Amino acid sequence: MATEIDMPSPHRGEGQGEGQGVKEYRWRMPANWWTRTRHYFLYVAREFTAVPMALWLIWLLYEIKLAGNGPAGYYPPRSAAFVAFSAVVLLFALYHSYTFLKLAGVIIRVKVLDRSIPPRVIVMAMFGAWAAGSVVVGFVLIWFAR
Amino acid sequence: MADKRVTIQATRYDPDRDSAPRMQSYDIPFYDESMVVLDALNYIKNHVDGSLSFRWSCRMGICGSCGMMVNGTPKLTCNAFVRDYWPRAIHVGPLNNFPLIRDLVIDMDDFMHKLKSIKPWVIRKQELPLGAGEHRQTNQQIDEFRQFSECINCMLCYAACPVYGLNNEFLGPAAIALARRYNLDSRDQGLKERLPVIGDAEGVWECSFVGECSVVCPKGVDPAKAIQQTKLDTTMRFVLPYGNRD
Amino acid sequence: MSTTAVRRPALSHLFFWFLFSNGGVITALLLPVHVLVQGILGPLGIVKVVDQHYDTWIRVLANPLVKLYLLVLIMFAFFHFAHRIRYLLMDFGVHAAKTVPAQVAFYGGAAVVTLITVWILLTTVPIGI
Repeated sequence: MATEIDMPSPHRGEGQGEGQGVKEYRWRMPANWWTRTRHYFLYVAREFTAVPMALWLIWLLYEIKLAGNGPAGYYPPRSAAFVAFSAVVLLFALYHSYTFLKLAGVIIRVKVLDRSIPPRVIVMAMFGAWAAGSVVVGFVLIWFAR
Repeated sequence: MADKRVTIQATRYDPDRDSAPRMQSYDIPFYDESMVVLDALNYIKNHVDGSLSFRWSCRMGICGSCGMMVNGTPKLTCNAFVRDYWPRAIHVGPLNNFPLIRDLVIDMDDFMHKLKSIKPWVIRKQELPLGAGEHRQTNQQIDEFRQFSECINCMLCYAACPVYGLNNEFLGPAAIALARRYNLDSRDQGLKERLPVIGDAEGVWECSFVGECSVVCPKGVDPAKAIQQTKLDTTMRFVLPYGNRD
Repeated sequence: MSTTAVRRPALSHLFFWFLFSNGGVITALLLPVHVLVQGILGPLGIVKVVDQHYDTWIRVLANPLVKLYLLVLIMFAFFHFAHRIRYLLMDFGVHAAKTVPAQVAFYGGAAVVTLITVWILLTTVPIGI
């Protein structure tokens, strides 16, 4: 298979190993392939969500580090630029949550009493867990600020 | 009706003359509402230009040989109605991501080798004698894998897969879906023989779940699902205690 | 074509995919609310949020459960990010992202972030309730 000898093939187009010995044109994937269809673009957007989310978590780490400076050295985030940055990150984070939890329904197979749970139910459970987790974390972040 | 015409722009490539594929336009009658792109290609071949080369066989979405790019999307041309594109011109090209042999004919050797590499047949540790009767299955056991057995090897999923386009070493959607079809079959005992191929770096781990393979599949096989489930199952085999047993 | 070459099961890929998928679920479930509350509602003054005042922020960060939670969130999140960004580079045709050095750099980077997180959580605010 690995050898491709350039020789005239009397059998060209007759089935058996028709690619061998024939000059073939090889395509190359263009670098902008992901701009060609909406699906590809949405896929790349989905993968890209990792970048803004990573930046935001690095900021969170920095804010935790700041707490070590003492009351005088700590300044809470209040700038408009930070709010704008967070708003953009939130859009990406929501898109990540929506796509990832929805795709989990395709992957996870759960059997109860020998019957497969329909993917729709699994997706609903994931979105339910998202709501529950958000309520708990939101509660802690707000309740303990009193 | 007889006056309607449609423009077919077909990719032409003659390995003896052309250094790169070129486009040729054909203006043909749109003679029948039920006309499909394959009918248009056959009309060109029979009445306009006999040198146009393409593969086809059954005309009814079963054989899987007439897959081509129709306006940039992988389609079975026997299943793509001209009326859905008319009055715009229809661009017909060879399947993406495969080497081009001539006009609309691609080289499928790579796919054939990959198909073979996952051993797409029922593997038994020990064959039972014929007298022992057939391997019986319940409806539930069949439902486990039925969806993945619908594949007709049309290679549309490979043409839709950017991962395969970027790296031809990738095992690819149809082959992994077929591997899963046999791994889920209650009669099969060949998981360990397939695992080195599907669990390889160029196997399921190369897939980044674009999901376009499942979108273009004319048979609803959902290879993307097969690949992600294989990732999860293989992981669980190693994560769970005793998961690696037979 | 490598169909004749000996294929090995790729256990490292399996391991990093495991971290990636868990990180994907964890960030999907928990990150949006952090961004919404700490990044938008708090700074705008719509609600009181723990990190808007030094005293409340310190009190929450001192809790060992909070420290553990933050560690799990950030560790899994960064293994998820590392995996996705590496594959995204491969999608953009950067073949170097596929190599072993790239894997070491990306997953090693996630491990470094994890260690930094442990260090920050343990050194900035002492454990207490």
